[in-house]
Amino acid sequence: MSLPWKLQETFSPEEIQFIVENEPIKIFPRFTTRSKVRGNRGNKTGQTRWKLLTASDEPLNNLVAIQTTEVAFWIALLLKQQGKCSIVAPGWLRLTQLQRFIDYELKNTERFSELPWNWLVVAQLLFSKAADDLQDPVHLLRGKVQDLREIRLGKIGQGLKHLNESHLQLDNLSLLEINELRPFVLGVMNKLKQVHGSIADEQEEEQ
Amino acid sequence: MSYYDIDDILADANKFPCRFNYDIPGLGYLEGNIGKDIKINAKVELPLWLARILAIVGGDPGIGDEGALPFVELMAPDMLSPKVMNAIKSGPVTLDVHSINSHFYALAVKWATLFNDRDLVQILNYMLLERSQEINNFASSIQLEKLGRGRDMGPFMLTLDEFEKKLYRESHESCKDMKKWIVQK
Repeated sequence: MSLPWKLQETFSPEEIQFIVENEPIKIFPRFTTRSKVRGNRGNKTGQTRWKLLTASDEPLNNLVAIQTTEVAFWIALLLKQQGKCSIVAPGWLRLTQLQRFIDYELKNTERFSELPWNWLVVAQLLFSKAADDLQDPVHLLRGKVQDLREIRLGKIGQGLKHLNESHLQLDNLSLLEINELRPFVLGVMNKLKQVHGSIADEQEEEQ
Repeated sequence: MSYYDIDDILADANKFPCRFNYDIPGLGYLEGNIGKDIKINAKVELPLWLARILAIVGGDPGIGDEGALPFVELMAPDMLSPKVMNAIKSGPVTLDVHSINSHFYALAVKWATLFNDRDLVQILNYMLLERSQEINNFASSIQLEKLGRGRDMGPFMLTLDEFEKKLYRESHESCKDMKKWIVQK
């Protein structure tokens, strides 16, 4: 088919990254694009402006150095690459906060902690592209994120023992984790449904 | 399970033992004697796609009081014998499903549909859950350095039936892509 088999029923991790890169994030710009009020507002200076279709270009045309602004993640990464901004890490990406999540995960064995849906992708992207902007040392943060991931993987393994043909509740599981599970869970649950469906006719007759 | 599904076609080609309820002229080639008749109570192994239809459609409904018998009667295959069922109940993970039948699940579901077999469904449910845990364990334990060389398959991997192989391949690919993405940068 026109779509390769791997992508027919799921996303690749790169596509998940693409989705996450559309989210807003805070940055410290290192340059100013706001045109001065004193001059002609008609913008005759010939300065190039941002004209975007998929993201809001208003904050980008009003950048003031060292004043936080929210822009789309992919723009932030582009600017960061050129050294034109530093990215403000989200609040949960701190050692203390991550430790709190880990404690919660360990205490509540039956549920997942309330990490944002994109935590794994954001953490990976920031570790590799904006490591110098994080408040805590990257290697420690990496360790904590890995801890969280492994604890959650263990819980997922426990949860898979209760697969059934009708439903599955996965509160607070992140998109990337769901995406990794998808082929397996769908395969098993579809087969279970098929197995149960083979006698469904009789039940209807009984009623 | 669709019309063009290759695995479904292959599963349907599996032979099941059947007993004929009628004398039928000309059908001797099913037994191997071309040009002869087939006798009542003859035991023949028929592919499921044929047996399934012949076990439903019957002779003249006008004859006899208790309704017409179908052309053939399907007999329980080895694949679903009590011996196999007990083996599943005792330990699905150690069972060599592939050597019992490489399309075990597909055929068992078809059988359960034909006979409304509640017990079989329960056993299948249990077997599927237990074995899928093991498949998930194998699929998610990946070492990227070893991927290039042919990995040595554990004994469990050789016991998978066709559905389980597909499940394993898909979840393995998913875990592999995920790991590659995390390592890449």
